[in-house]
Amino acid sequence: MRWAQDLRRHSVGDLATVEEQLFALMLLIRSVEAAIERTHRAAKITGSFHSSLGQESCAAGVSLALRDDDIVTSNHRGHGHAVGKGVSAEAVIAEMFRRTNGSSGGRGGSMHIHNRSVGFYGETAIVGGGLGWASGAAWTRKRHGSDAIAVAYAGDGAFANGIFAEAIRVADFWEAPCLFVCENNGWAHSMPSDGVFGPAGSITNVVSAMNVRSEFVDGRDAVKVYETGCELVEYVRTGKPAFIEVAVHRVKAHSVNDADYRYRPKNEGAEWLREYDPINSLRASIRVEQQHAIESAVSAVVDEALEAASNGALPETSDALRGIYATRGLGWDGRAEIR
Amino acid sequence: MRREVWAGMAALRFVDAVRQALADEMEADESVILMGEEVGPLGGVFTVTRDLIERFGPDRVMDAPLAEASFTGFALGAATEGMRPVVEIMFSDFVMIAMDQIVNHAAKLRYMTNEQFDVPIVVRLPGGGGSNHGPQHSQSFESWFAHTPGLIVAMPSNPSDGYWMMRHAIQLNDPVIFLENKAMYFGAEQEVADEPPADPWAAAVPREGSDLTIVSAGRMVGRCLSAAESISTRGIDCEVIDLRYLWPMDVDTVFTSVAKTSRLLVVSEAVEFCGWSGEVASRVAKDAFTSLDAPIFRVGALRCPIPVGVALEDEIIPTVERIEQAVVDCMDF
Repeated sequence: MRWAQDLRRHSVGDLATVEEQLFALMLLIRSVEAAIERTHRAAKITGSFHSSLGQESCAAGVSLALRDDDIVTSNHRGHGHAVGKGVSAEAVIAEMFRRTNGSSGGRGGSMHIHNRSVGFYGETAIVGGGLGWASGAAWTRKRHGSDAIAVAYAGDGAFANGIFAEAIRVADFWEAPCLFVCENNGWAHSMPSDGVFGPAGSITNVVSAMNVRSEFVDGRDAVKVYETGCELVEYVRTGKPAFIEVAVHRVKAHSVNDADYRYRPKNEGAEWLREYDPINSLRASIRVEQQHAIESAVSAVVDEALEAASNGALPETSDALRGIYATRGLGWDGRAEIR
Repeated sequence: MRREVWAGMAALRFVDAVRQALADEMEADESVILMGEEVGPLGGVFTVTRDLIERFGPDRVMDAPLAEASFTGFALGAATEGMRPVVEIMFSDFVMIAMDQIVNHAAKLRYMTNEQFDVPIVVRLPGGGGSNHGPQHSQSFESWFAHTPGLIVAMPSNPSDGYWMMRHAIQLNDPVIFLENKAMYFGAEQEVADEPPADPWAAAVPREGSDLTIVSAGRMVGRCLSAAESISTRGIDCEVIDLRYLWPMDVDTVFTSVAKTSRLLVVSEAVEFCGWSGEVASRVAKDAFTSLDAPIFRVGALRCPIPVGVALEDEIIPTVERIEQAVVDCMDF
């Protein structure tokens, strides 16, 4: 995986255990989110972003269960999914900075991280919008003789939308090897999930009733997410869809501009993190020196990424109209390019 | 790897021409697949895909559950992996359910991923009035799609174009909205041209004339030709332009015609208000202003749901008589 190579450049030895791998990846994801939040505050970035800080066990547990040739689609809170699949921290942060070294050349932003070469087909800013994409892509790979699979991440909010049941139904009907991941972070923006669906695990019951293999995992235990992820990924490789709901916690507000104090106690996220931080929970099973080595490598990777992102070129304004159509001769203004 | 095939140049009805194009493209390219409701054994409610499942099998002619958003998204996913899905939306009205996948995803994917993904997908929309299916089965949404960056909007008016424009659409690497007026399916047979048009995007001029230019697309082209024929007995000689594509729009052919006739009428089955005919009018008003001897006239559907019966539908959708009247009014100016 790309992220592990990046860490190795900063003299972390082999990440020998699953716990070390999860710890390193989760820490990297959290550090990227934290770096983005810091720089956002420093007014380097306009627009919004949605932090996955605190939810890292889902992205990390699922990502470690995947192969390089697997495909991932994600949602608006997808920086962690991207890093886990191998999008470099530089490409994520530079995309936030709207630089040409960003994963979408600086024209997508926080909600449009795309990196095809590592299988991260990418985020979509429409809740539930990427589910069909993932299953259609996975189905095509299978048709061409590959046992690669797709993972479609969505939040609990997406599972209130009709596309959720439709996408799983169609994937099952056409036997698309797609793992649907419901990252249940407890909140659909300001709406508490349990008020909509019932307690965590309820969405899993719905999918089970659709006769699709489904599992529920408490995301405070990253190892458990990984193990269940591996089981399901292995099952999906046989050519069927499956579903996993991972209960995580949205530590930050819905977005950087969101006044979450209006709908939940002010320190609720921070207090949850103090008590249940899934990263800290892993420390007991990792030697202290190795923890430090990983921490300093993560920190170096993120510093390097921030630096490279800040130094990235801004897109040429003349580039704004490029690439709408693949068809030769079709520019933004109809046939302007061939007239 | 494409295999070129015999194109079946017989006189065909519109429905047969579109079916023949699908079959010939499927024969030429294994990545072409069909998806949609009832496209399999039933062959589509308008029989466009009839017998194709027997010929190409259920792996390529895929009956979909009644889930337009999901199977359109699925098709998009397949397209990003190199398939060329042709999606049938049973009645164009149902495309509203799939609009997010078309407008927010298929149309933007190439641009917003910085050209990492192409979406070679054709969405077939049997639409418009004339078959008396009522308010939720008769709409003409072409202006909505022409308004959306990233889409190509094809609107054939006759069997030969139904054939060649469909083949062209399937070969393109961009999402194409393919509008099939369902009232045209079982109309007169027409010889399919031996070759595709030299310029696939160019508008056609099915009737030359010197007094007034009528611009239209899809089923309304036939009504414009009828109106032109009828009014010629009163000494008015209309030129009729069939745009064929609403995007890209061949306004150059319109300019050339208006330079000759100095009068313009634009006829759409789509609602006139904020519709594509306004775009034609605006382009001509700006870039061919000095050619004009009269205000530009437009005839489109009234801004009203499409009622079910023939009598009421004719009050809303342009009729030959309304088109003739507009020609007279424009000539009288």
